[in-house]
Amino acid sequence: MLQTIIHHPLSRTLFVFSMICSAIILLAVLLAPLLIPIIISFTLYALLEPMSETFERHGLSRNAASLSVLLILVAIGALCVSLLLPHLSLQLSTLQSQLPVVWQSITTMGNDISQHIATSLSLDIQSSGLTQHFFTQVDEWGKAALIEGSNMLISLSVLLVLVPIFTFFLIRDFRTFRNNLLDKLPNSSFEMGWLIYYRVAHQLQEYIRGIMIQSAIMCVITTIGFYILGFDSPFLLGIVAGVLNLIPYVGPLLAMVLPVLLALGHVPVEFWLVGAAISVILIAQLIDNVIVIPAVIANAVNLHPLIVIVGIIIFGNLFGFIGMVVAIPVISTMNIIYCGLYQGIKARYNLKQKAAIDI
Amino acid sequence: MSSQHPLWQNLFKHKEDRTSEVTEMWMDTPLFDKITRRECRDLVKTMHPRHYKKGEMVFNSGDIGASIVLIRRGAIEIKAAEKLLAELQVGDFFGEVALIIDEPRTADAIACEDSELIFFLRSDLEEWIKRSPRSGAQFMLNIATVLAARLRHTNILLSMQNS
Repeated sequence: MLQTIIHHPLSRTLFVFSMICSAIILLAVLLAPLLIPIIISFTLYALLEPMSETFERHGLSRNAASLSVLLILVAIGALCVSLLLPHLSLQLSTLQSQLPVVWQSITTMGNDISQHIATSLSLDIQSSGLTQHFFTQVDEWGKAALIEGSNMLISLSVLLVLVPIFTFFLIRDFRTFRNNLLDKLPNSSFEMGWLIYYRVAHQLQEYIRGIMIQSAIMCVITTIGFYILGFDSPFLLGIVAGVLNLIPYVGPLLAMVLPVLLALGHVPVEFWLVGAAISVILIAQLIDNVIVIPAVIANAVNLHPLIVIVGIIIFGNLFGFIGMVVAIPVISTMNIIYCGLYQGIKARYNLKQKAAIDI
Repeated sequence: MSSQHPLWQNLFKHKEDRTSEVTEMWMDTPLFDKITRRECRDLVKTMHPRHYKKGEMVFNSGDIGASIVLIRRGAIEIKAAEKLLAELQVGDFFGEVALIIDEPRTADAIACEDSELIFFLRSDLEEWIKRSPRSGAQFMLNIATVLAARLRHTNILLSMQNS
């Protein structure tokens, strides 16, 4: 009985799968301080590798092709920073100057609503106490965010140095490293190993390219929408919407928060603007769902929406924003590895069963 | 260190020799008809050499298949239901169906002497087709021709058996 359970393809798959997961988790723990630059570098590798291949096909050596891609990456980065940063910092300072007015307006509105409820229901609600408590909490969050932000700036400068270096070496050496690693597989698992690797790599590459294009399109559409509505920081709001779009399902909802708060901050409150701000995100989502997703990332990740949402919540709870962004690729990779292992192990098991019957 | 150093020179020479030899072997097969030697050579660099001991299974019927295999050294027996279908020698290839469909292998392949096999994976073929669609299409046409010839051969054998 025990032998049957041990040799059953499901238990064997689960054993091998848990060994692979343990190895990945151990590697992630060891590389924890470098995990974010590594994730960003792999993303850039997935985006830039085709460019390097094109250079190689046109006669450049691997080194020269990798270096050319790195130079192009640095040039594009420098161009973006020099062109966009002044606008972005201007819009950020406008937003900062608006925030006290927004808080004040929301406080007044909260007080008015509480007052209205208290009057209509003849209740004695300490509205000022409630809003005071809420804003003390918000204030604390804000301070924490500022400290987090300054830490992020330090991390950002580290990223700016590490990411190009990592990306260069990935473009130059990843294929050799991968070949050496996979060639270590025993003959019996060689084809299965490569098959699983290619399925994972193909799906991740498709997903990363798709989600980047999708985020850029979301950024453009929402920027135009907020600009038409007369928001003071349309570009900043567009970038926030684009970045939050990296988180499937949950991201678009989070993207509504800032524009809605800014719309509520107008004195007197213009409710049509709140509706219009929500509509911009919804229209962008509609365009995304009808045109972009079918054309760009259809079938890139074949997961049930419920798994996606639960995965995002769990990963977000464990690893914060980065966890929410990487949740889908990680779950999808695990899914492919598990299915590939099961397929291979089950084929072997069926073969052994058949041989035993024949004997 | 200069590549004139004997150790480095030998290392590079060995790799070059293998690439050239495998390129020539593939060029001699019908699969690379009307495909340039240079393209074949670039493709050979992405292929995977593996070594098998005498009696070792290369693959079993029912295994996941993901590549076509060229024999560089040694010999391979192809069996189905314990019946010997073919004995393949240096320069022969097998398992080409796995390049077309994602289905399990339909026969067993066993090394009947110590062998070195060159695996050309479906994933590498797909990448090559994306890079060079024209040559990729020619390669697929060549595979179709080989498969059609094998089907025709099997049909003739079956009709002979029936008659």
